[in-house]
Amino acid sequence: MLRYISQRLIAMAITLFLIISLLFFLVHSMPGSIVNDPMLPIDIKERIEAKYHLDKPLVVQYVYFLGDFLTFNFGDSIKVQPKVPVFDIIKDKLPITIQLNILALLFTLPIGVICGIMAALKKNTATDHGLNMMVVLFISVPSFVIAALLQYIVAFKWELVPILLSAEQALTWTKFKSMILPILALSFGEIAIVTRYLRAELCETLNSDYMLLARTKGLSQMQATLRHAIRNSFIPLANIFIPMIFSILSGAIVIENIFSVPGLGSLSINAINALDHPLTIAVMFFYSLIALISILVVDLSYGIIDPRIRMGGKK
Amino acid sequence: MTTNNEAILQVNDLHITFNTFSGKVHAVRGVQFDLRKGETLAIVGESGSGKSVTNKAIVGILSKNANIERGNIIYRGADLTQYSERQFTQIRGSKISMIFQDPMSSLNPIMKVGKQIMEALRVRNISKAEARQRAIELMIAVGIPDPEKRFEQYPFQFSGGMRQRIVIAIALACDPEVLICDEPTTALDVTIQAQILDLIKQIQKERDLSVIFITHDLGVVANVADRVAVMYAGKIVEYGTVDEIFYNPKHPYTWSLLVSMPDLDTSSSDELLVIPGTPPNMLYPPKGDAFAPRNRYAMRIDYEEDPPMYRVSDTHYAATWLLHPNAPKVEIPDVLKKRIAQQTERLVR
Ligand SMILES: Nc1ncnc2c1ncn2[C@@H]1O[C@H](COP(=O)(O)OP(=O)(O)O)[C@@H](O)[C@H]1O
Ligand code: SF4
Ligand SMILES: [Mg+2]
Repeated sequence: MLRYISQRLIAMAITLFLIISLLFFLVHSMPGSIVNDPMLPIDIKERIEAKYHLDKPLVVQYVYFLGDFLTFNFGDSIKVQPKVPVFDIIKDKLPITIQLNILALLFTLPIGVICGIMAALKKNTATDHGLNMMVVLFISVPSFVIAALLQYIVAFKWELVPILLSAEQALTWTKFKSMILPILALSFGEIAIVTRYLRAELCETLNSDYMLLARTKGLSQMQATLRHAIRNSFIPLANIFIPMIFSILSGAIVIENIFSVPGLGSLSINAINALDHPLTIAVMFFYSLIALISILVVDLSYGIIDPRIRMGGKK
Repeated sequence: MTTNNEAILQVNDLHITFNTFSGKVHAVRGVQFDLRKGETLAIVGESGSGKSVTNKAIVGILSKNANIERGNIIYRGADLTQYSERQFTQIRGSKISMIFQDPMSSLNPIMKVGKQIMEALRVRNISKAEARQRAIELMIAVGIPDPEKRFEQYPFQFSGGMRQRIVIAIALACDPEVLICDEPTTALDVTIQAQILDLIKQIQKERDLSVIFITHDLGVVANVADRVAVMYAGKIVEYGTVDEIFYNPKHPYTWSLLVSMPDLDTSSSDELLVIPGTPPNMLYPPKGDAFAPRNRYAMRIDYEEDPPMYRVSDTHYAATWLLHPNAPKVEIPDVLKKRIAQQTERLVR
């Protein structure tokens, strides 16, 4: 197990290295200059660019960049919050993004699981058809459309919750109320995905031979479903768990802008727009890190639920 | 033969259909048989003939789209077709148990086998310690070496034959009196098949079980069964004792089954005849005898009316117009005659 984890960690480090290298070249190939004030004299512009090594060939810049990176020196922001270390900016924006994502996940999973189980148990009934319609609707409508609709109807028309995120720092009731819409907007599509996936899996396990055997040994349909079918149908759920985290994270970039959430999502947009390279790279690096860690965690937890993986069974 | 004549299970005129998108599938069309105490009854027929469906009806595990249209299943005086799910949970496992074709998929892949055996006992409120004790005894009884260690293992750590042993242990856990084996050896290697057959025979004797043994392979039947019922297109077309079916078969379908059965003596493959044609589509059950289109002895009446069961002896019945007093005399095919002669010869020797 330990060997497996350390192998995975090494693979992760290599992946991260590739990601940041790619990021570096991608970000630096964006057109435009950080100095975009046309009134600035040309020699000042050149001096500013020289300060950030922007006048050197890209490969040289890359070597500087890697050197900084390996010493965990992520640099300072150039434009979004000049001279503030990027690390501090991210630290500042992170909590609200994490709060939003975790709440969305906490909301998505149980509801998606319950809907999926209900649809499978009530297969081909009105409940199933109703849920199916919801699934199709929420999978096909993008989250920002849902966000805009929610904002317009629930916040603007009905005035039930604030239109934008409350600026309060602590997680108070008003703050929470203003977070409801972004959470919903982030969750609906994911709930639909979980529902659809779990329904399919559970229908299959419900028809499996071991369900028949479980019933012939005297378990009621209910007991057999609870003890055998549902747990087995959860295993493949781990497959969509990682994409789900990614999709909530990336959905948050747009949703945060719609609801003016001062989080990582809006930060990354600002950084890209301002050509604030160190900040952009740091934010993207951070996203990648979260992604890789969640893949690792999910892979490890796979083993916890499925003995065939834990014990390295061949078949 | 240890059988007496007390029937503990009777299936009468059972009709089962399935609702499907393309229409009603008439899977079982008037099945009739009884199972006597302590006997092994083999049900033989090509795949799709309705063997599994009939027996799933006995244990009450038909899928939701199934309808029992007609007939009844009498077990100890009660009609199982009228049973509710709750009543069925009372008798499943403890009175009537069933094992399935594919041991690879009959066990829950993520639950320890020991726990899966115990579960059968635990749902009947037997304490954990006792259930564990009995599960281990069962594992010994079905021939699992090193049961204490195996108890803690998962199905993927077992071979197919060992898994089928575990499945049998589960089926036996609550001491049923009827055991239905639905093609229990079909998915296994030949050598393993023989071992599992021996095991079933052995536990049948030890526990005086009444066994329904489903198979599509007549070759297996001679070994395990006391009586044989031959099933075709949702009906039982011939039944009798093993000897009657093997040495004095009356139904042309039974003939074809016997002829197409591989035999140690059949050296040249030309004698191994394959039954021509395919079983009928049960969405549109044919009028008359369902076997007629594949039967080279078929007469006009075969396409018009279903033959009744004709009595051959007290224990032997067959549904074929050939047994009608006015039917032309049709002889058993020569290949089959030769085989029967060979077999009789071997017995005499
Ligand atoms: N759940 C079901 N829905 C529709 N048709 C079914 C279902 N189960 C079985 N059948 C049909 O019933 C017929 C008999 O099947 P079965 O009893 O499994 O045959 P076998 O003799 O091979 O065990 C087949 O034609 C099969 O297609
Ligand atoms: S009844 Fe007719 S078709 Fe059916 S098996 Fe007998 S001879 Fe053949
Ligand atoms: Mg079958």
